[in-house]
Amino acid sequence: MRVIVQMRPEHDVVQAVVDPSVSTPSASDVAGSLPGIDLDADFVPVPVPQPKPVYSDGDPLSLDQPLTFSLAAEDASVLVRGEIQDRDGSARLALLSSQRADIVGIAADPAVETTPTCGNTPPVGDWHDVQRFVTDALKSEGLDGSGVPLAIVDTGINLAHLGQVLGSPVTVDAARSWKPPGVNGNFGQFPVNHGTMCAFDSLIVARKVSLLDIPVLLSQRQGSTVMEGLLSDAISAYAHLWGLLEQMPRERRRMVISNSWGSFKPTWDFPPGHPGNYSDNRAHPFNLIVAALEVSGADILFAAGNCGVECPDGRCGFPNRPINGANSHPSVLSVAGVDTHDARVGYSSQGPGRLAVRKPDIATYTHFSGSKAFGQNSPDSGTSAACPVAAGVVAAVRSKLSVQDLSPSRLRTLIRRSAHDAGGHGYDFDYGYGIINTPQLVDAVRRVGKNNAGP
Amino acid sequence: MAPERPTVLITVTLPVRSTIEDAQRRLGLADDEVDTAYGLVPVDPARGTYALLVTEAAGARLQGAPEARGSHQGPFANPKIEPFGPVQSKDDED
Repeated sequence: MRVIVQMRPEHDVVQAVVDPSVSTPSASDVAGSLPGIDLDADFVPVPVPQPKPVYSDGDPLSLDQPLTFSLAAEDASVLVRGEIQDRDGSARLALLSSQRADIVGIAADPAVETTPTCGNTPPVGDWHDVQRFVTDALKSEGLDGSGVPLAIVDTGINLAHLGQVLGSPVTVDAARSWKPPGVNGNFGQFPVNHGTMCAFDSLIVARKVSLLDIPVLLSQRQGSTVMEGLLSDAISAYAHLWGLLEQMPRERRRMVISNSWGSFKPTWDFPPGHPGNYSDNRAHPFNLIVAALEVSGADILFAAGNCGVECPDGRCGFPNRPINGANSHPSVLSVAGVDTHDARVGYSSQGPGRLAVRKPDIATYTHFSGSKAFGQNSPDSGTSAACPVAAGVVAAVRSKLSVQDLSPSRLRTLIRRSAHDAGGHGYDFDYGYGIINTPQLVDAVRRVGKNNAGP
Repeated sequence: MAPERPTVLITVTLPVRSTIEDAQRRLGLADDEVDTAYGLVPVDPARGTYALLVTEAAGARLQGAPEARGSHQGPFANPKIEPFGPVQSKDDED
């Protein structure tokens, strides 16, 4: 639980906080160590004036009268903020107030949102922010995705663009890439588009992955647009990936598959209740092959979708429960989107899912200035960007742990358990189990490594 | 009238290393009822389950065919799929 702590420290500390001509003391200088509270060191302490009755015979405790406000050192208080552990929160608060006489009050610090980040809003932060939030903890543990095959199932990858934006060359594993029959172009040389954005967003987290270019959404068929495929193309792609995976010895087996696509409308599908329906039916061939591939050892991630209630994508046709088909499969990690201020973007689809209720699983960053695949000022947006960021995290973890060390199912559990709770308390349909928290995940992975090594 | 295009998926259970011709023989499918370019795609190799694309008429016929029942399932939808970004406003909708 996030809290605001109102304190009345020594007069000279209050004076230093109030006085704009001197540098403001840090939160720890104001509050010291508050037992049970993780103090937010980045929050600059804020002075709060003391209300006083205008008239000498006024009630000193009433706010319902004419008031003046004093920032004099002997009157003012100071706000700091932090997070109190959720377990036994009430007892912790009571203990804190009794132990520290300089605490005047403790108040909740709820998330506030004005207008949510929507499709037509400018970028919130940039890809360096994402690196800082997500990648630093992984890098410190040497988790960079080295040699991990990461399949971008999308519109194809453009390596020249990636190298230019990232500032160093990028390669794809052409020998293990795959494209539907009739798709022209070479792996790594497709036009800059959605797939290039997705590849970029995974590379900013796990720079050393081995990219597999799987341009399923470029499937050429009569009447198709440039950015759509058919689910049957994805089945073929997954059959190819299954073949690759089965060739790897289990002690070295690992593959991450990032999918930032899905079905937008129920009218594209057989009706709900029809035995051949895709959205609600785990027996559909694509949902079957997803399950088979996960059993074989693939870490499969799907974007949750862009049908959030605040500002859904114009293509959304689901009146409710938009996380459908494989995007809601129990064997995949379904990824919601937050901006770099940890607020759910308004278009990120909310659960419950159709194949599994607890969807999305987790959230991570989107809507940041990144690949510039859609222009200099256009953000990498949609849960399309969040999914490969999460796939980069999974690939980074896989650089040291094979499927034999840690099954895809257990890895999903670690990611969920280590997530930073956001939105409602515990699991919720906006953020899932919370925002991916790589420092906590790295701790969990370290423990797995130790346990696997034995005594 | 143009011939019907294969647009629906069915699954069939066959021995390992079966071919699309094996599937056609098992299900009684003519060449023009199957997308032979799509082929016979393994979807759950442990169970010998394969997918193939057939015409709607063939899918409907197989659904009611007692002789093939048990060896196949479907027809299943083959919906189009699109990327989840960039986010389109209502005005951008087709």
